[in-house]
Amino acid sequence: MKRHFRELSVTATLLLVLLGMAVFAPAFFQPQPLLSLVTREAPTLIVACGMALVIICRQIDISVGSQFSVCGIGAGLLAARGWPLPLVIGAAVGLGAVLGAINGWLVAGLRLPSIVVTLATMVTLRQGLNLGQQGAFVNLPDKVQWFGLNQSAGQWVLVLCSLAVLATLGLALRHWPAGRQVYAVGSNAEAARLAGIRPQWVTFLVFVLLGALTGLAAIMNVVQSPQVQPLAGAGLELKVIAAVVVGGVAIAGGRGNLWGAFAGLLLLACVSPALTHLHIEAYWEKAIQGAIILLAVVADGVRQRRSGP
Amino acid sequence: MKHLRLGVLAALFTAVAAVLTAADAKLMIALMPKAKGNAYFITVKAGAEKAAKELNVELLFDGPTDSNAAKQNEIVENWITLGVDVIAVAAENKEGLSTALRKAQKAGTKVITYDADALPDARTYFVNQATPEGIAYGLTDEAARLMNGEGEFAVITATLTAGNQREWVKLIEARLKSTYPKLKLIAVRPSDDLKDKAQSEATALMSANPNLKLLMAICTPGTPGAAEAVKQAGKAGQVKVIGLGLPSENRRYVHDGVTESVMLWNTADLGYLTIYAADALAKDQLKAGATSFKAGALGTFEIKGDNILLGKPVIFNKANIDQFEF
Repeated sequence: MKRHFRELSVTATLLLVLLGMAVFAPAFFQPQPLLSLVTREAPTLIVACGMALVIICRQIDISVGSQFSVCGIGAGLLAARGWPLPLVIGAAVGLGAVLGAINGWLVAGLRLPSIVVTLATMVTLRQGLNLGQQGAFVNLPDKVQWFGLNQSAGQWVLVLCSLAVLATLGLALRHWPAGRQVYAVGSNAEAARLAGIRPQWVTFLVFVLLGALTGLAAIMNVVQSPQVQPLAGAGLELKVIAAVVVGGVAIAGGRGNLWGAFAGLLLLACVSPALTHLHIEAYWEKAIQGAIILLAVVADGVRQRRSGP
Repeated sequence: MKHLRLGVLAALFTAVAAVLTAADAKLMIALMPKAKGNAYFITVKAGAEKAAKELNVELLFDGPTDSNAAKQNEIVENWITLGVDVIAVAAENKEGLSTALRKAQKAGTKVITYDADALPDARTYFVNQATPEGIAYGLTDEAARLMNGEGEFAVITATLTAGNQREWVKLIEARLKSTYPKLKLIAVRPSDDLKDKAQSEATALMSANPNLKLLMAICTPGTPGAAEAVKQAGKAGQVKVIGLGLPSENRRYVHDGVTESVMLWNTADLGYLTIYAADALAKDQLKAGATSFKAGALGTFEIKGDNILLGKPVIFNKANIDQFEF
């Protein structure tokens, strides 16, 4: 109970918010709009899973928003050229993995600080995309949206796909040796090395995994509408890092899990539609999200001081 | 050997000096968008490039990646250091940017604004793409027409702090009060210039307000975003979509009957006119008190006070949208 206090408290807050909505604005739970909103968050969840792994490994990647845009536009351009969808999906995931590998190599191979490396790749990728695409939307062929399925089938595919990724990675992190290695490296890289783990290798791989997941998320976003906006994904890094931190993953590494990140993401994603339903002015949206993040960080700080250095 | 080195140095020096004077002779105009990834500003840039070529001036184009007021200040500071002749900006934040622009004026750089104005004392002219009244009243009139003069509608903006967006909302409210008392604006929601966020906002707006009859997007990514939400909700025709936008980004939704009409001025002309005005300003050809101004191939434009007016916005709908390529 005490060990999972943060995850449980976030989940409890989320349930409280949902309960409040059920009482004060039951229209929030209409199936179709809710499914559309949840589907919009499915790609974000995938990126948040990857980000949680990177942060648990005591690194950070703020270039995911730019990676997301590049993969999305890349996939859109290939689809517009008439590539079959399975190939486009493969290309998006592959491109994401390559972008992740570049970050991973710079961080693990050259031992550069990840915040600076990914700041650089964030700007470079974004500007490169601006230069290449000049801000123009990519219009997609007809059969791309919802993989050519009908709308609700397509939405369920995306939602279930993101939940499958969450479940697989969540279990792997907890029960597989490779998953335990991520925690080991994040808590104490030197001790992990002495225990026979190769910390740089683990670090490299979590970046590659995050990149691949970001590519997957990008294609999951592309198939949700008939056109891709190059700016899509701007600010995504803040959204997922916030979700992960609110969900109880320690920014200093070594602690936290994906279920917490999932709850954190849902809680933050609830804020905007909840305000719309309660007819509260939009000015409060960012303030409330900020307060939630602050609360989470303060909770971590207090806990750490109590448990001593 | 020593002489040879000196000779080479001298030659190099002359070459550099020649390049520098050549660069000096060419007027340097710096053009800043609110966000350079935005398709809207890309078409502005295309028009600007055309004008720059005709006038034989050097055009710099730089701005924030996303709508970021602080980043705009930084770029203006850089341009002051660089010594450009004219700065033409679309201000993300009126008050915020004005300080930096005044500094530029003090340093001898001419300043004009386009698309979104700064404070009047921080620039000489504002190239007004359509008066705020023209846009706000145009959209409100179109909404009233589609809603038969009564019912609830909601607005999707870029950000709640963007100066022009705030002004438009105020004017929309004023127009409702004076002309359409039965039209009710029930919410204003931000989209952060993201189509996807606009879609989520529109989805929530529709489920929270079952009587909603129309969504009005006053930023270009908001219009296709709102349309996708209406399409997914299966409410095409029941909840109408109008907004600012490029024809190319809205064509499909207009043909599907989801989006009723899209409004925009000719953005390439805006860029073209801005560069012509900047050039004339630098050459002192634009005198205070002038009431008209001739800009190359586009002809003569009206000047009202310190505003150079681009003219009336264009409405694109099913009937005419296919005639426009951009």
